Amino acid sequence: MRFRAKIVDVACLSHFSRIVNTVAKLAKTCILRLTVCKLYFILSDKVANGGASLWCELSQGNFFDEFQMEGVAAEHNEIYLEFVPENLSRALKTAQSAKAVKIKLTNKHCPCLRVAVELPSLPSSSRIVTHDIPVGVIPRRMWNDFREPSVPDFDVSIYLPVLKTMKSVVERMKNLSNFIVIEANLSGEMNLKIETDLVSVTTHFKDLGNPPWASEDRCQSSAQGKDLESMAEACIDIKKLQQLLAGQQVNPTKALCNIARKRIVHFILLHEEVSLQYFIPAIA
Amino acid sequence: MKCVIAGGNVKVLGRAVHSLSRIGDELYLEPTESGLSFRAVNSSRSAFASFLFAPLFFQLYEPGSAGPDTELFRCKVHMKSFLGIFRSLPSLEKSVGKCLILLKPRASRLVLQLHCKYGVTKTHNLAFQECERLQAVFDTQSCASRLCAPARLLAEAVVHFPLTLAEVTLGAGPGGKISLRNYVEDEAELSKTMVTELWLAEEEFQSVAVAPGSHITFCLKEFRGLLSFAEASNLPLTIHFDEPGRPVIFTLDDTVLEVHLVLATLSDAESSSQSPSTNGVSHLPAPSDDFADDLESYMAAIETSEGCSEGPPSPTFSLHIPRPAKSKPEEEEEEEEEEEEEEEGAVPGTPPHKRFRSLFFGSVMTPGRPGPATTQEVLAEDSDGES
Amino acid sequence: MPFSAQLPASGERYALSASLDNARHLSSLLRAVHFQDYATCLATASGLRVTVEDAKCIQANAFIQAEIFQEFSVQEESVMFRISLSVLLDCLTIFGSSSLPGTSTALRMCYRGYGYPLMLFLEEGGVVTVCKINTQEPEELLDFDFCSTKVVNKIILQSEGLREAFAELDMTSEVLQITMSPDKPYFRLSTFGNAGSAHLDYPRDSDLMEAFHCNQTQTNRYKISLLKPSTKALALSCKVSIRTDAQGFLSLQYMIRNEDGQICFVEYYCCPDEDITEAEL
Repeated sequence: MRFRAKIVDVACLSHFSRIVNTVAKLAKTCILRLTVCKLYFILSDKVANGGASLWCELSQGNFFDEFQMEGVAAEHNEIYLEFVPENLSRALKTAQSAKAVKIKLTNKHCPCLRVAVELPSLPSSSRIVTHDIPVGVIPRRMWNDFREPSVPDFDVSIYLPVLKTMKSVVERMKNLSNFIVIEANLSGEMNLKIETDLVSVTTHFKDLGNPPWASEDRCQSSAQGKDLESMAEACIDIKKLQQLLAGQQVNPTKALCNIARKRIVHFILLHEEVSLQYFIPAIA
Repeated sequence: MKCVIAGGNVKVLGRAVHSLSRIGDELYLEPTESGLSFRAVNSSRSAFASFLFAPLFFQLYEPGSAGPDTELFRCKVHMKSFLGIFRSLPSLEKSVGKCLILLKPRASRLVLQLHCKYGVTKTHNLAFQECERLQAVFDTQSCASRLCAPARLLAEAVVHFPLTLAEVTLGAGPGGKISLRNYVEDEAELSKTMVTELWLAEEEFQSVAVAPGSHITFCLKEFRGLLSFAEASNLPLTIHFDEPGRPVIFTLDDTVLEVHLVLATLSDAESSSQSPSTNGVSHLPAPSDDFADDLESYMAAIETSEGCSEGPPSPTFSLHIPRPAKSKPEEEEEEEEEEEEEEEGAVPGTPPHKRFRSLFFGSVMTPGRPGPATTQEVLAEDSDGES
Repeated sequence: MPFSAQLPASGERYALSASLDNARHLSSLLRAVHFQDYATCLATASGLRVTVEDAKCIQANAFIQAEIFQEFSVQEESVMFRISLSVLLDCLTIFGSSSLPGTSTALRMCYRGYGYPLMLFLEEGGVVTVCKINTQEPEELLDFDFCSTKVVNKIILQSEGLREAFAELDMTSEVLQITMSPDKPYFRLSTFGNAGSAHLDYPRDSDLMEAFHCNQTQTNRYKISLLKPSTKALALSCKVSIRTDAQGFLSLQYMIRNEDGQICFVEYYCCPDEDITEAEL
């Protein structure tokens, strides 16, 4: 098992650290899955426990100038590592002006991801910082636990409004309630609602648009037969939603959510070759 | 004692107080002929700092008059109250034109008066306690290694470590390279903790004279405090160190200012995490009751009995623990009860795990019995947990 | 749902209805009196007064004159209700509390009368939020009976001169002692904390001093914990008028200028601290 990679470009480095920061905000520990072409950050809290799950996928070619990996075996050319994303986030935070960042899998006293940062210094010398991030290697028999979650059989899929506005609304609502109802229809309308003994608040977004899932055999294909105005709703833990909105640094070019009535809300944030999916189960 | 500080120097004093506040809960003021000294020590006596402002730093400096037998009056005040006056550095710069410090022993008052914009005057009357001289024993000359660097270099180096990190290890590597690395206490933690190591080339320093392979481990919190002062003042910082377990001394020199920060370092056995933690305090030879005086007077003794270093050739640090501490809540300190000082030397509330040695002799405290008997004991430890 | 569809039908009668094209003009003033959860709102033809009290010793009033609103109509002589100020503030700032240039939250506010909720309709950038906040029976308010004819001493200061002083108040002191006098020290703030005393002196000829009308020397103490919340109003204000009456009651009037240059007032009244003997003074 071998892995080494290198980032030189400043813009790639800052983009990569924004993604890692986002993951660190959403997951205390997570799985880093490495394949020849892609990196994945995976959090799979059991939905039964009311947890949220995360699936973040990026193409290595968009970030790394060098990327070499060798999995456990030729036919299973992948590596699964468990680690604390906050560590990687911290290591990259002080590397923003780096000339180069190398990431390497090592095994000194324990398996580690070694992040070596070459910082600008005097012309004649270099200043090197290394961070050894302890990792746990996930054996192959457990890989199945970290498969990509399937897109739920949703009732409505809708583009999200400007995330900054949504974040502000959800933050205020979080001061007032522990739960939030998110509802949307096929006419591009979405509502966020809270209700307590003291107050009820509803924010109405409109003209958001519904993404086409036409080619797929989802419920959308039968949309014609459906009432375009009818709302699909799910009540979720408002903290989970707030964490996503406050923590995301992906700056998505596209953001959407799929609502499976009373089951789950599935968020997708897309930025070029990066996709981040976040699943928040509904509260009964 | 009376002094007047003008303009930008008020902010310098403010920054010094901020830096000292990282060390201890009390601020010692000591007027001398060579300037006004501000000092602090931490509760476990493993960190000590002094800022000596030369008379030229002041617009006016009158240390007071000492008789032929009496020394100049010294005092200590609550760090928090003193810091409170200098809390906001930007507003000091913006609005304070002049600062007057007046020590009135007879009125039992330390008066600080700030003359601000728009003719506003702030007068603080602080309660103080008279005290003996606070002095750690150290000798930069006897240190085998010395490093000098612009404060900025070291400030840029420590940003790679989290603010919650307690200790770092400074080491001299091959090729004159200097390394900084976070200290991880035991092996078990090593597989859970991210280890960060930074290498600095010799050329980045102003001077490097270190014993190859040497390394020391010290507390980061106090060091950061000094660094921010040094960086703001744009002064180079010199690090003097020796073997593990011997103190590291950080110095700043300027025409009107002399700064020392002395930190205990982990001894080698401990830094290689071999010795199980034992309660160092219980190993203490009980100090004779006859000499159960307050710690400050012992420190004075250190000052006046320099010859004692005939004991151990190097400063090995152990601490006099005067009497079992009668612990007393700090808050209820009365303004003028000077007897209370006697208990203050003890370190109530210091956690019982041993880590760092104290910076103060225990041995010289007993006249006629030079130190060796007690010097090897490790007596006090850091209490970085309290911050 | 279009904004207009959310609005109450014009035929409905509201005890109070008001609209404001920048909700921040209201929220920032309310924040200046937000030191307790609940507030009592009183609407009359002249405007809205929001009152917050604590410990039967301090009362803060925010006044938003009818002219600040684009529309302000009260059907009865006065309309009064009690409401959670925290909830009201969260609702008013649902689209964020920072002021970005070119964006503002429009507000329409309606109250049908006793027993009904306060309805808020907020709109920013085409997004509409509807809030229904339950109201409660108003409680009787303290009457400080502080009228300008009984004022003994009065000083008007530029707020800038007090901001730092209040930010740095020694909170280990139980009280803030205020001395106003025709002679030295003219205007003095003192604290008596764990570590000693501190005095802040403002000369009467200071550039900060806009007016100085002191007729007799008065030294009064006020619980520092009660006065500390007024820092919020101080932070927003440009001028503050400090007045005392013969009993030592204190009035702090803050003049606050909003983003559009309109002037509003926030007033704090505070009882003197009675637990002192003459000897202590």
